[in-house]
Amino acid sequence: MVSRILIANRGEIALRILRACRTLGIEAVVAYSEADRESLPAMLADEAICIGPADARRSYLSAPALISAALVTGCDAVHPGYGFLSEDDAFADAVRAHGLTFIGPPADVLDKFASKAEVRRLLATHGLPTVPGSGLLADEEQALAEAARVGYPVLLKPSAGGGGKGMRMVRSPRELAAVLPICRSEARAAFGDDSLYLEKWLEDNRHVEIQVAVDKYGHGVHLWERDCSIQRRHQKILEESPSPAMSAAGRKELAERAIKAVVAAGYENVGTLEFLVDSEGNAYFIEINCRIQVEHPVTEMLTGIDLVATQIRIASGEPLGFAQEDVPQRGHAIEFRINAEDPAHDFRPGAGTIERFNAPGGPGVRFDSHAYVGYEVPPYYDSLLGKLIVWAPTREGAIARGRAALSELIVDGVTTNVAIHRALLQSEPFLSGKFTTNLLDRVGGAAFLAAAERPG
Amino acid sequence: MPATNRTGDIAPAERTPAERAADHAALARLADTLVPALAGKLGAGSLGEIEIREDGWAVRVRRSAPDAGRRASDRSADRARHTGLPGHTGPHAPHAPAQAPVAEPVASSDGPVHAAATAPVVGVFRPGLSVGARVRTGDRIAVVDLLGIPQDVAAPVDGVLVEVLAQAGDGVEYGQEVAVIEAAAPKAAPAAPSTDGEG
Repeated sequence: MVSRILIANRGEIALRILRACRTLGIEAVVAYSEADRESLPAMLADEAICIGPADARRSYLSAPALISAALVTGCDAVHPGYGFLSEDDAFADAVRAHGLTFIGPPADVLDKFASKAEVRRLLATHGLPTVPGSGLLADEEQALAEAARVGYPVLLKPSAGGGGKGMRMVRSPRELAAVLPICRSEARAAFGDDSLYLEKWLEDNRHVEIQVAVDKYGHGVHLWERDCSIQRRHQKILEESPSPAMSAAGRKELAERAIKAVVAAGYENVGTLEFLVDSEGNAYFIEINCRIQVEHPVTEMLTGIDLVATQIRIASGEPLGFAQEDVPQRGHAIEFRINAEDPAHDFRPGAGTIERFNAPGGPGVRFDSHAYVGYEVPPYYDSLLGKLIVWAPTREGAIARGRAALSELIVDGVTTNVAIHRALLQSEPFLSGKFTTNLLDRVGGAAFLAAAERPG
Repeated sequence: MPATNRTGDIAPAERTPAERAADHAALARLADTLVPALAGKLGAGSLGEIEIREDGWAVRVRRSAPDAGRRASDRSADRARHTGLPGHTGPHAPHAPAQAPVAEPVASSDGPVHAAATAPVVGVFRPGLSVGARVRTGDRIAVVDLLGIPQDVAAPVDGVLVEVLAQAGDGVEYGQEVAVIEAAAPKAAPAAPSTDGEG
């Protein structure tokens, strides 16, 4: 087992990793940027070391600074957290080359699972359903034939693309013929490559993901699903498990197919497979996240398994130590992401100093946060201030605990998105469990809040 | 005896040359009359920082960190360092472009101006020049090895190297003070932070 870990991250996840280290009897050194000198993880760590300026490119994204910090503080391992360099195979490789253990999948595994298109092909060969689509489209005739085969509406996508550029949703052959040349020229302009392909457009979908853990010896388990359909601008803000949209048989089947496929494909360590689930309950694999995720506590509440400790043990070369039948899905858990952002103003991020603060408590309530009174929220990084996770034997019970806990949460001095969570817990689609990923974006944050405030 | 820093900041965005000259004169006056008094006050009390504003200028005197290593336990004394970075005009103002941390001239209350040279990266310290060496601004005083690649510790001012704060082979963090320069011309220091174009 590793004995001293450099935590190469910040905020609540740095604190979460620190807690896992403490429970495993491992020393923890927190690497911080100048903007995070007063942060809670830096204060609570066994040691803290400044790695660079506020600019993440010279601190949390600087592989040399992080590895150098690990070496001068006598660490034998590096935990990258999420975001930043967590899925960077070159970083993982450099960490290993300096004699340190990377807490995550080994570099070659990260490399193998890096390309979304490649991973979809790979996992499809191991039995996972993927979004129906075409290969590269040679001409209009082929595009029309492929679209007819896949079924309208379809999404036309540049092969070299990213970030939504050059993508068009089309509902008919006529529309497809009209936009094909436009998409080609947009793709050429944006990426220097005009090759296009198309995918089935899944209109009212949900986002469901399967948590997995696989040790170095090919022994893997799934830890059930999380439903992350409550999003704003494609960013999750509330996650829960079990998914209210899946049947007991459906979730078991999907989870079993997922773990079987990733073990066969050679995955290692903790990871998450993301799926789109359509209105008929069909699941399509979209990508794998080779890291710990923000919403991992939802799974921890249901299974009682510490996922960060599991990451550390697997990376240290230990066998998983538990079997599939040791992973219960007990009760219901909901996570509310508390972000420093204003839901009434287009989720504009905020910064400032926390003047008053109270963390909720009580049975079935967990609050993972680096916030404290006097903490200055720096403007340089993501807006996540903390995560409220509630658990109860039933979904109704969890919602009731969520309401109670949100009413106890006080964060003064910084605008937060708490209002949107309170509104969600009043909204009919959420309460009935019948919602899709566009619940908030269809109307916008401000309108959603206004609707919740109207009596009746 | 507490060491104190002085910084002239909040330079107005656009000033004519004449106004700027007046600013400098005002700043020099403030520095000569106020700084010693403020330094005395700071030394006697428990305040970390005192700021006086006059004619659009401010003089801020603050206690420097007692421990350059900045472990969690004594970091509170260091708070003023990054909350009062020059160039901040509001809560959302970005930091100055990423450069090695700015070493501020440090005046002890009885005269000579000292400036700290800081580690440009986190790494292993290797000494270079010896105490007593004369340096020009930007000269290499020592290096910090970043995974075997030496990065210069540069002299922040013209002067004489009077102290090296780290030992060969020490691990140092980014921004850690590793050497002290006694500035060649103490009177030049108050004018030095006339941060034109900053703010």
